[in-house]
Amino acid sequence: MAGNKQLRLVLVTPEKTLRDEPVAEMRFPLYDGQMGVLPGRAPLVGRLGAGELYFTELSGTHRSYFIDGGFVQIKGEAVTILTNRAIPVESLNRQQAEEQLKQALARPAHNDLEIDARARDEQRARQMVALAGRSHTGA
Amino acid sequence: MAKARAIVKRLKAVKNIRKITRTMELIATARFKKAMDRATEAAAYTKKIAELVADLSQVAVQGFTHPLLQPHPTDKNAILLVLTSNRGLCGGFNSGVLRLVQRRIIEARDSGQDLQLEVSGKRGLNFMRFQQRTVSQSYTKFEDKPLFEEVEELANRYAKLYVTGKLDRLDVAYVRFQSISRQSAVVETLLPVGQLNAATREQTSAQSATAAATAATAAGGTGPTTEYEFLPSAREILEEIVPASFKARLFKCFLDSAVSEQIARMVAMKGATENAGSMIGDLSRTYNRARQSQITSELSEIIGGAAALE
Repeated sequence: MAGNKQLRLVLVTPEKTLRDEPVAEMRFPLYDGQMGVLPGRAPLVGRLGAGELYFTELSGTHRSYFIDGGFVQIKGEAVTILTNRAIPVESLNRQQAEEQLKQALARPAHNDLEIDARARDEQRARQMVALAGRSHTGA
Repeated sequence: MAKARAIVKRLKAVKNIRKITRTMELIATARFKKAMDRATEAAAYTKKIAELVADLSQVAVQGFTHPLLQPHPTDKNAILLVLTSNRGLCGGFNSGVLRLVQRRIIEARDSGQDLQLEVSGKRGLNFMRFQQRTVSQSYTKFEDKPLFEEVEELANRYAKLYVTGKLDRLDVAYVRFQSISRQSAVVETLLPVGQLNAATREQTSAQSATAAATAATAAGGTGPTTEYEFLPSAREILEEIVPASFKARLFKCFLDSAVSEQIARMVAMKGATENAGSMIGDLSRTYNRARQSQITSELSEIIGGAAALE
């Protein structure tokens, strides 16, 4: 399995399978940091955080999606990313993201659960703002 | 004379109705195809979640519990979510669900449960208004394209209520899609989730037989040999998967309901069109007969008149 040097990205949301194609490499956020995957990666199941899914197609073009948590399963050559939301970075709306960040920051949180939820929302909004900002400057 | 005129009028009306029902049938067919595509695309997610759960349970996470998995000691506070359509003219689609709802309400009343009704769809809301039952939440935004984001909002609210102990049981009444020729109204208990394995297994079995078969062969081929690295740990991933699987199940209810509605409408309108066709046949036959008898009587009058002149 490991000798078969191929990598396939399967990006699945509850609504549809967005991508199912071979890629050269990819990078995605785990719950505690970025992770990069090259062909021949050992099997893994992991929890995802919010942030950028970045991958290089076989043709060499780079693509980015914003993904919002979920799970990743690496098995054989297939990397399956299960996420609630996946938005192409080009169609992120910076203003909306900033609005969400503002809302998250302004929300009162009184107990541990609420604080956790707020921290998650804040983190997600910050990532979105960062990604949206980058795509607008065209970098 | 008057009779033939009346029949012509009626014939025209029936022809117009047939045009309308045929168009509705075509529209329902198109919408059904779209809804069906969405449902099959969404099945990939539930299948994958089920696969992950199966993989994780192999690691034998002993004594794993999650607030959503545990049944509460009572089921005093219950919510019944009713999925109906916004539009009518879809045969027994709504009445099938509402009949079950009626039964569930009576059952809850007899056992002293505090049952809150949440209704999606204008048809269900009208019914509840007619029955003079209070509806705690109503939704009309779910048409034939339910969005995951919208459903997730609901799911998050239910999960929160359940975890904080304000909700002990969540049922969903909807029309489950089994195959194109078979849909049945069901009341399904979504919370407590119960056995995670059982829940996901049930889900996969609900999917089409071919998909299940391919999944089974795939799982059988590589399943036991894969040894995963878990980040952070199998237990923590399971903890996250429980709510995800609950959300996916709720979403599937909405998708099923949307698909079934279109099928029900398609079938109902096909019946109506055929019925109108046979009615047109009958009406034109009676019209011809009426016209013929009118001509005959007119002729005999003329002949009678001419004979009187001679």
